[in-house]
Amino acid sequence: MATNDNILIQVSGLKKHYNKGAIKALDGVNIDIRRGEVVVVIGPSGSGKSTFLRSLNLMEEPTGGAIIFNGVDITKKKIRNEQGKVVKLNIDEHRQKMGMVFQHFNLFPHMTILDNMTLAPIQVKGMKKEDAEKLALSLLERVGLADRANAYPIQLSGGQKQRVAIVRALCMEPEVMLFDEPTSALDPEMVGEVLHVMQQLAEEGMTMVVVTHEMGFAREVASRVIFMDAGNILVDTDPKTFFGNPENPRLQDFLSKVL
Amino acid sequence: MGGLIKLSNFAKLSGYAEMFGQGLAITVMLSIGTVVVGALLGIVLALMRMSDIRPLRFLGLDKEGHLRGPGVLTTLSKFNPLSFLATAYVEILRSTPVIVQIAVIYYGIFGVIDLPTFSLFGITKFHRFFPGVVALGMNSGAYLCEIIRSGIQSIDGGQSEAARSLGLNQNQTLRFIILPQAIRNILPAIANEFVVIIKESAVTYTIGVQDIMAVVQSVKGATYLIMEPLLVATALYFCLCFPTSKIIAHFERRMSRGNKR
Ligand SMILES: Nc1ncnc2c1ncn2[C@@H]1O[C@H](COP(=O)(O)OP(=O)(O)O)[C@@H](O)[C@H]1O
Ligand SMILES: [Mg+2]
Repeated sequence: MATNDNILIQVSGLKKHYNKGAIKALDGVNIDIRRGEVVVVIGPSGSGKSTFLRSLNLMEEPTGGAIIFNGVDITKKKIRNEQGKVVKLNIDEHRQKMGMVFQHFNLFPHMTILDNMTLAPIQVKGMKKEDAEKLALSLLERVGLADRANAYPIQLSGGQKQRVAIVRALCMEPEVMLFDEPTSALDPEMVGEVLHVMQQLAEEGMTMVVVTHEMGFAREVASRVIFMDAGNILVDTDPKTFFGNPENPRLQDFLSKVL
Repeated sequence: MGGLIKLSNFAKLSGYAEMFGQGLAITVMLSIGTVVVGALLGIVLALMRMSDIRPLRFLGLDKEGHLRGPGVLTTLSKFNPLSFLATAYVEILRSTPVIVQIAVIYYGIFGVIDLPTFSLFGITKFHRFFPGVVALGMNSGAYLCEIIRSGIQSIDGGQSEAARSLGLNQNQTLRFIILPQAIRNILPAIANEFVVIIKESAVTYTIGVQDIMAVVQSVKGATYLIMEPLLVATALYFCLCFPTSKIIAHFERRMSRGNKR
C-alpha cells in the first residue's frame, strides 16, 4: 500500500468475533479513509455496520486487526511514544478527535444544551468556560438553535436534538465525525433538517463516516459508498458506480429491495 | 397494668415529657446516623457488586487467548470475590429479621469492644447510642446497596457512550454524567428508606439505645402504665414519619414534573 499523507484512518484486517468466533460481526475489514472524504456505509441489518463504525473509536474493542489513526495503532494497549519509550495508550486522547453521533441522540438530560456542549471542551481540553461557551454559541447559531442554548434536551424536538448532538461533537473540534443511523429515530418531517446540517459539514471539508439508509444522501453527498454484508466490505466505490452500475449480485439484490 | 385507658392517666405522664423529648431526639439522631452509615456502606457494597475484578479470568481463555465455551473453567473465570462477598452480605441481611441482626451485631461486635462512655449532647451516652447506629446502618446498607445499584444501572448505556466518545475518561463520566442522574433517580427511594429506618429503629431499645421505645419501657416500670405511654410513642412516631413521607411525595412529584417539561 502506497503511503499517503492524506490517510486519516487506516483499517486493516479488522475483526470482531463473539462467542469464540461463532458470530463474526466483522470478519477482516480493510479500508483507508482519507481526510475530507465522506464515506457512506450501507448494508442490510446485522451486516456489521454499527460494529465497524463503533470500532473506529474503540467503543467496541476489536478482536483482531489494526486501526491506524493519525499514525497510531489505537487497537494496541501499549505504544511507543516519540522518545521511543513504551507507554500505555490513552484512548481518550484519540476519542476526543473523533466525534460520534448516535441514532438516539444521547444528549445529557440533566444539563442545558449549552452545558451539554461545553462539558467536554472544559473538562477534557481544559478550555476556559467563556471560550467554550462562545464556541458553542457560534455552532448553535450555524444550526439555527442559538435561542435554545439554555433549554433542556427534553424541550427539543427529535430533529433539534440531533442537530445539538452534532454540534456537541463539533465543539471538540474533531478530525473526523462518525454517524450511526443519525436519522433513523426521527419522524420523517425532521430527517431533512439533520441531513442538511450533515451536508453543510461535508461541504466544509469535514471527514465523515456515515452509516445510513438515506440513499439520497449517499448519492449526493458521499465521496465513496461502501456496501457491507456479513461482516465484510463487498463493494467500495464512488456513488455513481454504486447506484448506477452495481456489479456485485448481493448489492444488486439489496438495492432492488430498498430503492 | 389494667388495659383500660383513662384520660387521668395521661396526666401522670406529664412528668415524663422531658424523657419522651429526649427519646424523640435520640430516635431522630439514630435515624439520621443510620441513613448516613447505611448510604456509605451501600455505596461500597454497590461498587463491589458492580466491580469486574476476576482473578481467575485467565482460566476462561484458551492457548490463543480466545474465550472458551461454557464449562467449569469458564464458570471459574467469572468468579468475582468482591461481588460474591457483597451479594452474600446483601442476601443474608435481607433474609433475616432486624431484631436478630441487631442482637447478633451487638453481642458479636460490641461484646468484645469497649466503647468510650462520653456523653452525647447531654442526653445519652455514646456507648449506648453508637451500637444502635452501627447495627441499623449495617442492615439498611444492604437495602441501600440495591437502591444505589439499580439507580446506576437504570441510566441508559448511551449516556456513558456519548460521554466516552467526547473523550471524557471513566471517572469524569461517572462524576458528570452517571452519578448526577443516578442520584436524582434514587433520592426518593433513599428518603423512603429513611422513613423505614425511623420505624425500624424502635427495635434498638433491645440493645440499650435510649430511644422513644426505651422511654416507654422506663415509664412502664415506674408507673405500671403500658397503653398510655405506648399511645404517646405511637403519636410521636406518626408525627415523625407521616410528614416526612408527605414531604418526600411532594418533592417526588415536583421532580417528575421537571422531567416532563
Ligand atoms: N454483544 C454481542 N454479542 C453477540 N453478537 C453481537 C453482539 N453485538 C452485535 N452482535 C452481532 O454482530 C452482528 C453485527 O451487528 P451490527 O454491527 O449491530 O449490525 P448493523 O449495525 O449492520 O445492523 C449482528 O449479527 C449482531 O447480532
Ligand atoms: Mg446498526
